[in-house]
Amino acid sequence: MIRGAGARPKVESFRLANGLRVLLAPLEGSPTSSVWVWYQVGSKNEHPGITGASHWVEHMLFEGSPRYAKGAIDRAIIEVGGELNAFTDTDFTAYFSTVPRGHLSVPLDIESDRMTRALLTDAEVERERTVIHSEREGNENWPEFRVEEETYQLAFRVHPYRWDALGRKEDIERLTPAELRAYYQKFYGTRNALLVVSGGFEPRSTAAEIRRRFSKLPASGADVSVGHVEPAARGERRAELSGPGTTPYLQMAWRSPALDDPATPATMLIDTILGGESRLFSAGPGWGRAGEHPSARLCRALVEKGLAVRATSEWRPRVYPSLFTVQAQAARGVSLDRLETALGNVVERLARGGPTTVEMQDARTRIRRGAALAYEGASRTGFRLGYFSVLHSPEYEDKLFRQLLAVRAEEVRDRARELFRTESRVVVRYEPTGGSVDE
Amino acid sequence: MSSADDSLRLEYADGPLGLRIARQPPPPGAVSFSATYLGPAGWAYDARGQEGVARITTQLLTSGAGARNRISLARFLDRAGGTLAAHCDPESAEVTVWGPATSVRPLLGVLADAVLRPRFEPADLERVRRQVYERQLRELAQPSSRADRELHAAIFPVGHPFRLTGMGDRKSVARLHSSDLAQFHARHFTGPGGLLVATTSLRLRSLLGLVERLFDELPSDPPPPLRVPPPVGQRPKDVRIDLPGHSQVEVRMGGPSIARSDPAYPAAYLADEVLGGATLLSRLFTRVRSKGGLAYHASSHLEAMKLGGYWGAEAGTGADRWRRVVPMLRQEVERIAGETIPAAELDLVRESRLGEVALALESTSDAHELAVDVAYNGLAADHWVTWPSVLRSLSPGEVRRAAEIALDRGRSATVVAGPLGGA
Repeated sequence: MIRGAGARPKVESFRLANGLRVLLAPLEGSPTSSVWVWYQVGSKNEHPGITGASHWVEHMLFEGSPRYAKGAIDRAIIEVGGELNAFTDTDFTAYFSTVPRGHLSVPLDIESDRMTRALLTDAEVERERTVIHSEREGNENWPEFRVEEETYQLAFRVHPYRWDALGRKEDIERLTPAELRAYYQKFYGTRNALLVVSGGFEPRSTAAEIRRRFSKLPASGADVSVGHVEPAARGERRAELSGPGTTPYLQMAWRSPALDDPATPATMLIDTILGGESRLFSAGPGWGRAGEHPSARLCRALVEKGLAVRATSEWRPRVYPSLFTVQAQAARGVSLDRLETALGNVVERLARGGPTTVEMQDARTRIRRGAALAYEGASRTGFRLGYFSVLHSPEYEDKLFRQLLAVRAEEVRDRARELFRTESRVVVRYEPTGGSVDE
Repeated sequence: MSSADDSLRLEYADGPLGLRIARQPPPPGAVSFSATYLGPAGWAYDARGQEGVARITTQLLTSGAGARNRISLARFLDRAGGTLAAHCDPESAEVTVWGPATSVRPLLGVLADAVLRPRFEPADLERVRRQVYERQLRELAQPSSRADRELHAAIFPVGHPFRLTGMGDRKSVARLHSSDLAQFHARHFTGPGGLLVATTSLRLRSLLGLVERLFDELPSDPPPPLRVPPPVGQRPKDVRIDLPGHSQVEVRMGGPSIARSDPAYPAAYLADEVLGGATLLSRLFTRVRSKGGLAYHASSHLEAMKLGGYWGAEAGTGADRWRRVVPMLRQEVERIAGETIPAAELDLVRESRLGEVALALESTSDAHELAVDVAYNGLAADHWVTWPSVLRSLSPGEVRRAAEIALDRGRSATVVAGPLGGA
C-alpha cells in the first residue's frame, strides 16, 4: 500500500507477469468508476518522418480491434452512460473511460482488446489522415500554437521534444499505414502500459478481473527511453513570426530540468512566483490552471501596468530536460520591443533579488491548497495517479510536495540565476499582420 | 439513477429581500463546496451607447470587493484554497465561489462581498478595458470567434440581445466610467430577480441563516423590465468571411430557437443530441468525421434560455474541404426535422445523455452546474430525478416535431469564416 499525502487516496499496486503495472484506488461511496491506461509512449519516441505517430495511434485505437469494430468502443461506453477520451503528450499517451459504478467490465474489456491488437487498417488510417490534418489546422489558427511550435523547434536540435505531439504537417501527409502499424506494434504493449482504476468498485474482485483479462496478453513493448541528449546552447536563438492575430505576442524560453532533477522544486516555485501557480499543484475546480493571478510578478509588472492583456509562465513536468517559458500578449499599442524589455526585466529582477518572504509564503500556501482538493472524483483521481506514475512514480508526488515546501528563498534566487541565462534563451516574437482586422 | 436521486434533489427557500435560495447536497465523498449568485445583469440590459457595461461590471466583481483590493482578495482566496469566478451571458451575470467544504462561511462571505460591495477601482477598470479591446479584435480576426459573431448577427435583428456578444465596441467601452459600472451594479445585482445556489453539506436552515446575515444589503428594487424584439422570420442566409493566413475554415449554421420553458424543450433537446450534441454518437460527428474524414470537430448545440433560444451546427475543416462540409451540415439539419429518428438510435442517444447526468456526481463543481441550471430556469426541485422518465416518455414522432420548430432550417443562416481561397 502506498500512503498518500494530503487528500491522496490509498492505492494498491501490483504488476502482472507480462509487465503491466496496475494501480487500484477505490473511493468509498463514489458513484462512478474510472479506467485509465497510460502508455509511456509519446512524441519523444518518434523521429523525423513519422512525427505525430503517437497522436495518430491515439486516434486509431478508437477505430477498430478484434472485438470492437469501428465506432463500437464509443458505443459500448456511452451505452452504459459513460464518457471516454484520450490525449497525447510528448512523454505519454492516455486513454480513459468513466462509467457509472457497476460497469467497470466494459472499459476493462476494451482496454485489454486494444492494448496490443488494434487493427489500424489501411482504409481507416487513410480516412483519419484528414481528421489529423484538421486538428492541426485548428491549432494553427492560434498564434500561441505557432509560437509554441517555433520555440521548441529553435530550442531543440537533437532531442525529440523538438516537435509537437500533433506532428509536422509534412509527416502527416506522408506517413504510411504500414509505418503507423509498425510504430504501434513496437511500442504499445504491457511493458510500457500502466492501468489505473479509481472510484467506486470492489478491489479484490476487480484485481481478479484485471488479472483474468490482461494476463493473457503477451509481454511486449520496446524500450521507450530516449538516448538523444540535447547539447548545451551556445547562444540566444530568436525567431520573428507574423500572421493573422490581434496584438503582438511574445514567448521566451530557457532550458529547464526534468521532473526528477533536484532543481525541479525551486523551478516550480519560480513558476508559481512569476505566473501564479504550478502545474502540478494548482487549486481550482477544473483540471488546468485557474487563470489570472494578480499577485504573480508577471501579472503585476505587465498586465497591471498596461503593457499586456495576459502574461504568465509555464514549467511542464517532463521525463527529460525541457523548457521553462514565459509569455505575454501585448495590450493594444504596445510594441514587441517594449514587451520584450519588460518581460526580460521581470525575470532578471527575480534572479537578482530572489523572492520576497511574502511571495514564498503565498507560493507555499497555493501549493498546499492545490494538493488538498486534487483528488475529488474518480476521473481526477485516475488522472493524477497515472500522471505522476507515468512521469516518475506514484510515490513521487509526496516527495515533490515535501521538497516544494522546504525550498528556501535563496535557493529560488540561485535557481533563477542559473535558469535565466541569456546564452540559453529562446525568443519568439509574433507580429500580427492585421490585414484581416477591420474594426 | 437511484444513487443520483438524493444528490441531485434541490431545496428551495425565499431568502432576504426577494433573493431566491436553492440548496443541493454535495456528491458522495466530495470535499469541496460551491455557491453561485445569479442576477438579472446580462448584456441584454446594456444601455444604448454603453454596450459592454454588463460584461465589464461582471468581470470586475472578482477584482476587489469590500475591504479587500484585487491583490488582497486573491491572497485571501489562496489561503482559503478557494476560487472566485464571474461569467456573463445575454440574460444574466453569475459569480461563483468554490473551495474546501470546511471553508463555507468565509468563502460565502467573499461571494457576498463580490456581489454587494465591488470596488470598481479605476485601475482595475483600465486593465479590463484593455483586455476587452483585445477580445474585440479577436472576435474579428479569429475564424471561430468571427464565425460565431457573424452567425448571431445574421439570425437576430438589431436590438436583440442574442445578436451581440456583449463585448461592445471600442467607443462604447472607452466611454465607460467607474460610476457607470456602479450604477449598473446597483440596478441589476438585486434581491428580486436574484438567485443564490449552493452545493453544500450545510442544512438549508443554516444556509439560509448565513445568507440572511451576509446578503442583507441587497437592493430590494426589482430590476428594470426588459424589452426584447422577437426574432424576425427570414429566409436562409449565406455569409462568407475570407480570413487569409489562417489554416482552418470554421463553418457555422444556426437559427433562432425555443425558450427553455417551452413544453417542446425536452424533445428538442433530444433532437439536437441526435444531430450533434451527443458528440461521438451524433449524426454530424459520424458523417463529417468518422465516415467522411473531413473535420476534427463537428457538433451541434441548442441554447434554450429564458428570453428565447438559438441552435447551431458547426465544423472546423480545411480550406479545400469546406465546400463538401457545408452541404453535409445542411442535409443533416434537414433530415433531423424531416425524418423520424429510428427508435434504436434515439434510445442510444437518450440513455447516453441520462448517464451523463450521473457522471456529474463525480465532483461538487460538476454537480453544482446542474443545480444552477435547474434553479436558474425555475425548474422543479426534483428535475434531475424525474428527467429520465421525461426523456423516456418521448416518442420519435414527438422528437421530430420538436425539431421542426426548434432546429428550423428555414430561418437559419450559414457562415463560413477562414482562408476561403486556400491556406
